[in-house]
Amino acid sequence: MDLPDYAELHCLSNFTFLRGASHPEELVKQAVVQGYTALALTDECSLAGVVRAHLAAKAAGLKFIVGSEMTTAMESTTGSRTIESTAGPGPINSTTARTVNRLKLVFLARNRHGYGNLSALITLARRRAGKGEYTLYRGDLESFAPSGGVPDCLVLWMPAEIPSVADAVWLAERFPGRIWIAVELHAGPDDVARLEVLQALSEASGLRLVATGDVHMHARARRPLQDVLTALRLNTTVFDAGYALFPNGERHLRTRLRLSRLYPPYSLAETLKIAARCQFSLDELRYEYPEEIIPAGETPASWLRAETERGLQQRYPMSVPESVRERIEYELALIAEMTYEAYFLTVYDIVCFAREQKILCQGRGSAANSAVCYALGITEVDPARSALLFERFISKERGEPPDIDVDFEHERREEVIQYIYKKYGRERAALTAAIITYRTKGALRDAGRALGFGIAQINALTASLAWWDKREQLPERFAELGLDPAAPRVEKWLAMAEALRGFPRHLTQHTGGFVISRGPLSRLVPVENAAMAERSVIQWDKDDIDAMGLMKVDILALGMLSAIRRTLDMVGNACGQPLKMHEIPPEDPATYAMLCKADSMGVFQVESRAQMAMLPRLQPRNFYDLVVEVALVRPGPIQGDMVHPYLKRRQKKERIEQISPAVDAVLKRTCGVPIFQEQVMQLAVVAANFTPGEADQLRRAMAAWKRKGGLEPFEQKLLAGMAANGLPEAFARRIIAQIQGFGEYGFPESHAASFALLVYASAWLKCHHPAAFLCGLLNSQPMGFYSPSMLIQDARRHGVTVLPPDVSYSDWDCLIEQSGDVRLGLREISGLNMAAAERIAAVDRKNRPFSSVSDLAACANLQRRDLDLLAAADALSSLAGHRRQAAWAASIEKSVAVVQGDLFDGRSFLQETPSDLPVPSEGENLVADYRSLGLSLRAHPLSLLRTHLAERRFVCAADLKMAGHRALIRAAGIVVGRQRPGTATGIIFVTLEDESGLVNVVVQPQLVEKQRRELLGASLLGVYGQLQKEGDVVHLLAKRLVDLSAWLGRLETLSRDFH
Amino acid sequence: MLWLALHFPLLPLEALSLRPSPSTIDSTAGTGTTAPTVGISATETKAGITTIEPTAGTSAVVSRGRVLACDRLASEAGVSAGQKLSTALGLQPGLAVFERDVLRESAALTHLACWAGRFTPTVSLSPPAGLLLEIGGCLRLFGGVAVIVEAVLNGCAEQGYSTRWAVAPSPLGARWLAQAGAGEIHAELPAMQSALAVLPCRIPGWPGEVEDRLNAFGLKRLGDLRVLPGASMRRRIGNGPLDDLARAWGDFPDPQKPFIFPDSFACDIELPARIEHAEALAFVGQRLFAALAGWLHGRQLLVRACTLLMTHDDATQTALELRFAEPAADEGRFLRLLREHLSRLTLAAPVEILRLQADEVVNKPGASAPLFDQAPPGEGVPACLERLRARLGEAAVQVLGQQADYRPECATRSLDVAPTLTRNFAHFLPSTAVVAVNAACKPQRPLWLLPKPQVLAERSGTPQWHGPLKLLSGAERLESGWWDQGEKGMAGDVRRDYFVACNPAGQWIWIFRDADAWYLHGLFS
Repeated sequence: MDLPDYAELHCLSNFTFLRGASHPEELVKQAVVQGYTALALTDECSLAGVVRAHLAAKAAGLKFIVGSEMTTAMESTTGSRTIESTAGPGPINSTTARTVNRLKLVFLARNRHGYGNLSALITLARRRAGKGEYTLYRGDLESFAPSGGVPDCLVLWMPAEIPSVADAVWLAERFPGRIWIAVELHAGPDDVARLEVLQALSEASGLRLVATGDVHMHARARRPLQDVLTALRLNTTVFDAGYALFPNGERHLRTRLRLSRLYPPYSLAETLKIAARCQFSLDELRYEYPEEIIPAGETPASWLRAETERGLQQRYPMSVPESVRERIEYELALIAEMTYEAYFLTVYDIVCFAREQKILCQGRGSAANSAVCYALGITEVDPARSALLFERFISKERGEPPDIDVDFEHERREEVIQYIYKKYGRERAALTAAIITYRTKGALRDAGRALGFGIAQINALTASLAWWDKREQLPERFAELGLDPAAPRVEKWLAMAEALRGFPRHLTQHTGGFVISRGPLSRLVPVENAAMAERSVIQWDKDDIDAMGLMKVDILALGMLSAIRRTLDMVGNACGQPLKMHEIPPEDPATYAMLCKADSMGVFQVESRAQMAMLPRLQPRNFYDLVVEVALVRPGPIQGDMVHPYLKRRQKKERIEQISPAVDAVLKRTCGVPIFQEQVMQLAVVAANFTPGEADQLRRAMAAWKRKGGLEPFEQKLLAGMAANGLPEAFARRIIAQIQGFGEYGFPESHAASFALLVYASAWLKCHHPAAFLCGLLNSQPMGFYSPSMLIQDARRHGVTVLPPDVSYSDWDCLIEQSGDVRLGLREISGLNMAAAERIAAVDRKNRPFSSVSDLAACANLQRRDLDLLAAADALSSLAGHRRQAAWAASIEKSVAVVQGDLFDGRSFLQETPSDLPVPSEGENLVADYRSLGLSLRAHPLSLLRTHLAERRFVCAADLKMAGHRALIRAAGIVVGRQRPGTATGIIFVTLEDESGLVNVVVQPQLVEKQRRELLGASLLGVYGQLQKEGDVVHLLAKRLVDLSAWLGRLETLSRDFH
Repeated sequence: MLWLALHFPLLPLEALSLRPSPSTIDSTAGTGTTAPTVGISATETKAGITTIEPTAGTSAVVSRGRVLACDRLASEAGVSAGQKLSTALGLQPGLAVFERDVLRESAALTHLACWAGRFTPTVSLSPPAGLLLEIGGCLRLFGGVAVIVEAVLNGCAEQGYSTRWAVAPSPLGARWLAQAGAGEIHAELPAMQSALAVLPCRIPGWPGEVEDRLNAFGLKRLGDLRVLPGASMRRRIGNGPLDDLARAWGDFPDPQKPFIFPDSFACDIELPARIEHAEALAFVGQRLFAALAGWLHGRQLLVRACTLLMTHDDATQTALELRFAEPAADEGRFLRLLREHLSRLTLAAPVEILRLQADEVVNKPGASAPLFDQAPPGEGVPACLERLRARLGEAAVQVLGQQADYRPECATRSLDVAPTLTRNFAHFLPSTAVVAVNAACKPQRPLWLLPKPQVLAERSGTPQWHGPLKLLSGAERLESGWWDQGEKGMAGDVRRDYFVACNPAGQWIWIFRDADAWYLHGLFS
């Protein structure tokens, strides 16, 4: 029997959140399997899935149609229209407003113009509703509406149970010749009757019938998942969802055989006619750069050259080095060939704005570290000063736009964003979407909810999925909770959660990816509202944008830039002459010496435990060493087993092998071990005869192989290529293993270089201006790995004097006093509001010091709460004595407020401070300091306990340096950090702090299991362990843990758990 | 006045009665729709997951993601109140976790108060987890403070409650001491005051701000607070705490709001003579039911179920459970039902004590009494159902309700109680008009559904039932119910194509086809 041809024109993917139960790619694949002529993706008021479907369809050779399903809102005619309709004899309807039927429609784009209209219509409906919602009115379909009747789109109408002929006529008038009645038959109670009704409607209105499937899933087997999604959408369980579920699994891409039995042949044939009229492909989209960045009379090329030249003059006032000149010419030629001038100029424009506003920023990314970008001031990485090779700069074959991310000071990024909106308008600039997908925890939670598990059970399960749990352990977790993993209901829970994982859940805004276009953006891609007010996002994510060739500029926030800018300002003030980041003296030996000692707390990037352990081994002595350091201590190189070979060779313990001249040239700068993404690509080119384009595909495959696989073809090609070049197979295998280890964590050299620059700048500041650096860090909190307390302790160990916050001397921010000491700001006082602190700082305290607490309250207009907080922080000591007296004095202000109008004058109570309020002990002061400030400048708590500790033979951190390798040692300290690196299986690093420094403890998995309670619960931890010494790197390998927290009394310590 | 304060620190946990208490007798096995009292049922949903069983020992009650109370074994493992749930589970992965149930807590407290009525008529609730018993008035009856305290504590322990206590002349003083776990008798004011003076300043119920402030002043114990000038203190921490202090110290009178007995009904009658025949109980029962009816009336309540408990002369008991198809307060109806039951009862032994307790009561809807004694004609369906049930057994009479489920066998369920609004049988049978409306939008379903689909023979591709069947409708495909697939007694995932068919005799039937065969599922006439 001949099967009829068919095109599915009404199909939802899981980008119609909580309705569609299949990925767009799955739908395309299934449509191919079923031999469909074409497939339309018609997600509800969304084009978020079309790029994926388009790419999949293109690869599979399936005709793909872009469309969207939309349902008009319930409207009621009121007022004059009602009266009009009842102009006849009786006032029958004058009180009852007539409601208008909702219309469920599918729009299909015929051509580029129709696509633009559809995108604009979606934008219209989305922008007037809240996040995740849309509102479409019937009026929007009129020809006079902004969408102009959505020309060049074909329209399918899904009539209601009891269809209205009036609606049919209304639609026929609006969309003459391009509207159909969709027949959707799903083996319901009476398909025959339904078909008869629609046929009658068709005869009455003259609209033709077309078969569509209302597809919600690619295969019947997704029915349970679809039911789960329905239950979640309705916020109920599958048991209670009842008739809200679909009665069967027919809403999938059915076989043509099945369709031929359900639908009349003419309705199937009609699908092909419609598909034939839709001739639009997403490949037709052409992105156009904005124009206004180029002054009148200039071309993009001439303007870029002019600005580059101007920049070069500033960078190299004497003369431009020959190598740089050459580089510039090469790059400009390449940029011109690809017509990317506008892109560079757009980024340049944004950076110029930031510079005018004195916002520190720095570019990174493949194109950022080009000589052109250095000349334009987008980056500070000097091409003359470093030996970097930027092969990834722009790949001609890729044809995709270059990639520049710009980091800005984290607290001032918003200014930059608002500048972009202002300059290009909200019609032309929007943020990239980030698609939030279900992860294990959320999938378990929602699947559990839909299956009727209790909140307590779900919470118990998800809460016990602490951050070290693996997915494979889920059945064990169930068992621990008393749930039998083999019980049918539990099995279903697991299966549904597994199926749900990876499903898109909602769209949110990308952290900073901006898309800017020449014309209205909404004709390119739908724009919708984000959760944040005054933000709009497009419906495509970063991958979609890449695939469609849209330009994106990442406007990112980086705390370290804020800290560096503040530190530079402070140093500048102290020296009386401003200091800029690029004026920091290069290659300063003292700075490198400091880093080699792992004395890097607070320094950008290299302050983590793992980095600190690496610094003494790597012994960075120049800028390029820092570039390597940044890239080396990452999951990629660690998993790829590159760290140890690199170290051995660098320390000259192992010879650098010679493979072939071409390979050696690529790997020479990293001792023969590939560390950067660029090197892998270069290797593929020189050793395995890849074209640069293929090498770039390899880079993308590397990033995705853990999630999607697909590295195998490259593996074969690499092996074959290297064999052809006569390279040893062992070498080839090793390279492949390293590539796999790299995975998505592979770090590009260009990023590493940008980061290394900040590493150097922050390290130099820490080394030469530790007080200013401390202030810069404290005033930019929260950021970095360490708490203010640890940063302060570290600075004090480096000879910086730190003074406590005091209303008579402190501002909101920390500052450096005349003496050069750091005075903590009132910002350290937890809970104190900034406005109050600024009112205090605004008083001219030098010439008119506060006389008393009530004077302070009056001058700075402080509330009782502010005074309480100040007293608790001991910041009133210059006015009121010890903190209890201060508290007593501060609390009187309450009575001033309360007893106003009373016989007594509030101030008269000032005299009544009882002398018998006890002076707080040192320990009590410590507790109070920690409670209010999270830190204390008094004696370290451990010094108060030292005698106790010594009795139990706990030694202090400083003593560890004296002890020998493998010595058995007891150490105790406040737990200031627990860290479980993703790479070290199950090991937890604990950092202890005592009065003399930090102790790095390594807890192995067996001990983690055994002493979970001590490990997680203790704030003061004692460790019995064995010392591991390697050069300057000292670790204490824990053998037994003891919880000494009781000794601290109520001392509150801040521990930061890092993931 | 002398006050015994009781504090139940583990009430949130113990109110859930994780251990089935020996007093619960399961007399309604089989038919009950009431949730079992054990364990997880508190958080159970309709899905009826009963896979969690209370593990021996470690269990905890959580509220808003934090531990509220935990048992001894759990606290030995490091679990403590206020902890985050994730931390607790990190410490004790096998911890059984229960969501807090405030209603159960207050019910438990009320029951305890009722029970405490046996010691003293003056009982006060001190929520959330305490009781105050005025025992000064009944010392002689029991023979001294220590005796009462011991009796009370034994009683609490028997009911499975962990208890802290103190006896003091001021109610608030007693409460604070009990909360602090004093466990001491202070009959005189000075002794109590010196005990109070050393208590820490952390008084539950005082605003956190007060505690912070006292902490800031370095005041640690209540005694420190008493020493400072009152007026200054009042200006700083407000009047509430200082008034509390004065009440606790006995400076101010502190009248307590008495607990009003009882919110539930239980009444005993000791029979003047042993009764050996069940029917004869009806006479005595009459008085009990009259009292019940009066109580219900006074409180504007209706009773849905009550138990008549007969204590025999050998100290054994027989429980007669009376359930009403609709909540009732009518004495005459009680008695008719009682007679129906008693006429079927054979006494195992003579009865000494008769006790009637209202097990389930509901608020009376705002109905007014009939005007001029215009009683509604007839008893109505519910009363008829009750009598049928009494005669034929609970399980023999059921009421069907609709359930939203595509699977025909799951589309109805039996209801325990008739819909309350139903007054006559007309509501059970849809009127023809209703049928007509339903038919337009609802699929055709047969009136008679077979208990189990019956396999049909098939001859040359045609299903047979008293002759070859003719299919009269297109296939209606039903695929649903995967969620209870593989569970005992459940319909499971159904995948069928249904047809209306007709046999040569003209009988209309409902049949379906699945992957294996044809089945008969229902009859239309």
